[in-house]
Amino acid sequence: MKNNNPISPHIQIYNWHISSLVSISHRISGVINFIFFIFLSGWILLSILLGQSYEIFYSFYNTIFGKFFLISIIWSFSFQILSEIRHLFWDFGYGFELRISNISGLVVIFGSFILTIFIFLVGRQII
Amino acid sequence: MVQINLPENSKVQKGKYYKDKTGSKNIRKVNVYRWDPSSSEKPRIDTYEVDMDNCPSKVLDVLNKIKNEIDPSIAYRRSCAHGVCGSCAMNMDGKNGLACTKAHAEIKGDINIYPLPHLKVLKDLIGDLSTLYKQYESVQPWLKTSKKTDKENIQSKEDRSKLDGLYECIMCACCSTACPSYWWNGDKYLGPAVLLQAYRWIIDSRDEDRKERLRKVADELKLYRCHTIMNCTNACPKGLNPAKAIAEIKKMLAASNI
Repeated sequence: MKNNNPISPHIQIYNWHISSLVSISHRISGVINFIFFIFLSGWILLSILLGQSYEIFYSFYNTIFGKFFLISIIWSFSFQILSEIRHLFWDFGYGFELRISNISGLVVIFGSFILTIFIFLVGRQII
Repeated sequence: MVQINLPENSKVQKGKYYKDKTGSKNIRKVNVYRWDPSSSEKPRIDTYEVDMDNCPSKVLDVLNKIKNEIDPSIAYRRSCAHGVCGSCAMNMDGKNGLACTKAHAEIKGDINIYPLPHLKVLKDLIGDLSTLYKQYESVQPWLKTSKKTDKENIQSKEDRSKLDGLYECIMCACCSTACPSYWWNGDKYLGPAVLLQAYRWIIDSRDEDRKERLRKVADELKLYRCHTIMNCTNACPKGLNPAKAIAEIKKMLAASNI
């Protein structure tokens, strides 16, 4: 067959569903978490080796950007954990019905924000 | 590989506009993907104004009306017109489905009609499914048994019920072409339609080749490119669940020592 036939439009025209949205966010948050783990290890290592460098992180987290960064990371973790639990159920063969997968997808999306707020408040010792 | 943007020759242009000639008050705009292999032009979107007062209820009826009354050059596949043959699978309103079972009243705004996503276009709404058919052939979709009797090959009711939700598949390719994994790795990943068929033969109690079938499908690219995106189940016009079938294959592989 001729090779100059065009490829029909795909991601440009295809509707987003809850499940595909959660799936791509799962990937993205996974990559973010992976990078953050390297950052986290460096943080811990620096705090152990040089006590005063903890100050650098402390002042960073107290800037607006630092707080935004921290909250984003907490969200990314919350999302990853909830989505991973969903995947775990799938691996056992449960929750594939369209309705249930849509509900569990929504639970992951909204749950990740609720969990973020919860973790942030606990960390701030407000609750 | 993941390629978000369309290649240069696939970029969609604005096409012709066919104004309504009937003078009807109830007009809907229908945007249809067009590409003619005999010209060197890029694909385009033609817009048709269709008189909905004299049009039956399904998207296929709209296409038939366009072909019969407005523009006979438009090409699409169709045959049975009641969701049994799977010929008229296409992308309507951003979702794959059968044009003959999708009611146009369900679509809000203009009706956008594209061929099934990420296929080589043969003409207009006809995509090239030969890769998918080759993959279908590769799972050997027939019964393998050493029994050679003149009598029926009997199955218990429970064993038969395992095929429910699998045998109904009409191979319309709505699911496979809805799957982002299949878009990026369609040459290697088998895709939901073929994997559902593979599972249909794996789970058949009369088939004696289960282990070999599982071994064949147990491959990083053939099977495990499924990341449970669930676009397949969302798209299936017959209400089947390819995602679950794939998960069952994964489960069987995890439990067996292959």
